[in-house]
Amino acid sequence: MTAATAPRTARPSRPPRSLIGPLALLIFAAITWWAASEEFGLNFDVPRLFTNLTRGAGILAEFWPPDFSVLPRTVGPMLETVQMAIIASLIGCALALPIAFLASRVTSPNLTTYVIDRGVLSVVRALPDVLYALIFVAALSIGPLPGILALILFNIAVVAKLLSETVDGVDRGPIEAARATGAGRLLTVRWAVLPQVLPHYVAYSLYAFELNIRASAVLGIVGAGGIGNLINEFRRFFQYDALAVVVLEILVLVIIVEWISIWLRRRLV
Amino acid sequence: MIRFENASVTYPGGVHALKDLTLQIPDGQMMVIVGLSGAGKSTLIRAINGLVPLSSGDVLIDDVSVRHAKPKQLREIRSRIGMIFQTFNLVNRTTVLNNVLMGRLHGAGTLRSLLAWYKPEDVEIAMRALERVGIVEKAYVRASNLSGGQQQRVGIARALAQEPKIILADEPVASLDPPTSHVVMRDLQRINRELNMTTIVNLHFLDLAKVYGERIIGMRAGELVYDGTGAQADEHVFRDIYGRSLTADDMLGEAAAAG
Repeated sequence: MTAATAPRTARPSRPPRSLIGPLALLIFAAITWWAASEEFGLNFDVPRLFTNLTRGAGILAEFWPPDFSVLPRTVGPMLETVQMAIIASLIGCALALPIAFLASRVTSPNLTTYVIDRGVLSVVRALPDVLYALIFVAALSIGPLPGILALILFNIAVVAKLLSETVDGVDRGPIEAARATGAGRLLTVRWAVLPQVLPHYVAYSLYAFELNIRASAVLGIVGAGGIGNLINEFRRFFQYDALAVVVLEILVLVIIVEWISIWLRRRLV
Repeated sequence: MIRFENASVTYPGGVHALKDLTLQIPDGQMMVIVGLSGAGKSTLIRAINGLVPLSSGDVLIDDVSVRHAKPKQLREIRSRIGMIFQTFNLVNRTTVLNNVLMGRLHGAGTLRSLLAWYKPEDVEIAMRALERVGIVEKAYVRASNLSGGQQQRVGIARALAQEPKIILADEPVASLDPPTSHVVMRDLQRINRELNMTTIVNLHFLDLAKVYGERIIGMRAGELVYDGTGAQADEHVFRDIYGRSLTADDMLGEAAAAG
């Protein structure tokens, strides 16, 4: 009743519908069609995905049961993988910290530094870690060192990018307060910005460590140390039951690292 | 002595926030600036420590130009001016003590400060500053765990830790409830009287301005439209400054005043 008698004020007229949404959807669909089509793309169709899958069943069956007799041989390379990830994460993430501050508009001392730093980061990120590993293996011979160098570059690229974007979003109030006390730029970053982004930085670093363990499985295939060497060997000699052991080990390792990082993050935030 | 000499600020975009302001603030004065939002109060305050650069004219502190100060000189000038903010501007994720020690960064030495390896003297100065605002027992509590009023007192302690000659307060009570507002204003008044620090406060509540302002200046559209004592500032004066008749929103209310 009150609703019927309440005075009705003029409603604003609806703004014209934007065509950007539907248009974007259309363009997206066209691009997908281009990638999958018979004429221009990969001639991809879903049913074939399943028929081909059953063809691999024979090979998949060879993974079972895992041949645990190779376990002792995997311990050394597995340990090397973890050690590579630890060293690369420590160095890479430490270097990423100052680079991230120079790559944020909030903390970069001037536009030139900002643009150069961002540019370098984009270039570093442009190449995948396996390519870096290939280059370093060519330059330094095989072993864990080229793998570590590749992972360091990878970590700088990932952590500095994520962290610089987090820095862009910090509360500017404490920065103004620090400037008002006469503190210089470095100490302003240390005391007004770093405490704000520290939990994020730790989380990103732990994430980088996880990625490093995974990545070193691939890096070994090009000769850059770690468990990958062994994966490559088992694969070449069709020892799929031995390969299954390595797959399980990586799975367990990554889950353990994930648990540790969840526990640490909860403690920090 | 702070001297504004034909000081103007034009923001990019063409807003004239401060127009040809000439003003002198003697040492030890408690001055309150009133005016509507956008009248140029914050700009005036930030022109004193150079957080907002002047477009023309100058601000001189003890005859030293803020406008022409080199970066190092400007940091030197700022180190002797404490500042308090409407939103407190504390680093929430760290301790109260670390926030207050921010006031010691200017003279503490880069390496020591980077490593949080403060001199015992600096820690003692910070503790005394916290004592003065009555929350020294919170020194090792995270700043985010304090109430609004307590956070603002940490903000005041941070300014005091600089051992400044001048305190600037930009709407220090606008985020606080009425009783807490009086507590904070009384802290500022005590600091002004006991430590003889020149204190410049932006306020938009007129009754607070009258109670605490030894001198009141009124700003309107970037210009100085009133300059007198708190006692002289009656309703007509405020109506003039605000360019409209006064409403209850212009008063903090709550008769609890200060001594």
